[in-house]
Amino acid sequence: MAAGETATKKSPALDVNVLLKMLVDELIQVNKKLDLMIELDGKMLKMQEESLQRITDKSYRRKAIKPAPDAMTLLSLPSSLRKTVMALYKLKEATAEGISRETKRLRAVESASANQLVRMGYLKKKREGRKVYFYIE
Amino acid sequence: MKGKVITIHSSRGGTGKTVIATNLAATYANKGSNIALLDLDFRAPSLITVFSKGIRGPVKHWLNDFMNGQCTIDQALVNVSKEYNLKGRLLIGLANPAIEAIQSIMGKSRAWEVAAVKRLFSLRSTLFNDMNIDCCIFDTSPGIQYSSINAVISSDFSIIVTTLDSLDIKGVQKMLTEFYDAFEKRTVVLMNKVFPETRIWSNRRQEELVSQMEKALKRPIIGVIPCYCDVLQAKRSSILAIKKSDHPFLRNLQEVANKLEHI
Repeated sequence: MAAGETATKKSPALDVNVLLKMLVDELIQVNKKLDLMIELDGKMLKMQEESLQRITDKSYRRKAIKPAPDAMTLLSLPSSLRKTVMALYKLKEATAEGISRETKRLRAVESASANQLVRMGYLKKKREGRKVYFYIE
Repeated sequence: MKGKVITIHSSRGGTGKTVIATNLAATYANKGSNIALLDLDFRAPSLITVFSKGIRGPVKHWLNDFMNGQCTIDQALVNVSKEYNLKGRLLIGLANPAIEAIQSIMGKSRAWEVAAVKRLFSLRSTLFNDMNIDCCIFDTSPGIQYSSINAVISSDFSIIVTTLDSLDIKGVQKMLTEFYDAFEKRTVVLMNKVFPETRIWSNRRQEELVSQMEKALKRPIIGVIPCYCDVLQAKRSSILAIKKSDHPFLRNLQEVANKLEHI
């Protein structure tokens, strides 16, 4: 009986230790979850920022799109770009190589010039197989 | 000249563009060539008056309709060869003289002007390949405005008609440096309505004038046509190349036509 009494007397002390250990474990779990939540929150914020940036970029690009170059606009373009547009008016649509045949300039020059005009919003380009065609919309 | 589009242009009005364009077209058609003559002066149409005697019935399609994408180029052309008894075909494209049509042209957007240039470029394939036309002549509006610029950039070369008036010469100089040089277009200058005394000038004095003008304008002078009172007094609807083939004005223009064939 005495031993049993001792055991019952000791058990509350053991329970406290176990409970403390369990509490520490729980706190560790809570801490991990909090870390995860902070990490997820950070990711969410980043995604929101990126999404906002994309929307802003799209509206910027929409604003930057210019109508195809009319005769007056052609006058304000640098001569190297003007030549490319003139060739495309004649050819309707062409690859950089096709434009270079018309302008008698190097294909690389026409490719750079046409891509610059695409970035400026004056030309459009489309891919058909391996070939890229430039055209005035 | 075969398969070429020629623009007749000037810096200011009243230099004789339409008389030159009409008689040049009639001269070629008289020789058996098939010619299309288009009135691209949409703000001040004139071919409707010049060819009034040759146009039977109401005009079904104007050149304005073609530019608006409402008809094809062959629908917008009127064949006047029979009426003027020409050896070749002379097809004319008329600008609509109605005030509504002129107002409409004046309010066109930049997008429409882009489409207009495309149409002018595209018509050459129909004219030269499908309709067997030898040469197309654009009669344009003077100075730098959409209708004339569109015509110049879509043609193969231009003839700038000028008088000896200093305002004309200065205007041509400005137009050449600020516009023609930018587009690297082949251009020749035709001096028209030159003082009557040039008719009695020696060849040397004529050559001096041409040399002076070529130096000032940095372009070849394709011809010097003196001012003829009877040409100025003639009714607009009488085309000299059809009526008076022995007129000195036409002899000068014939020389121009011959030179053009070698360009």
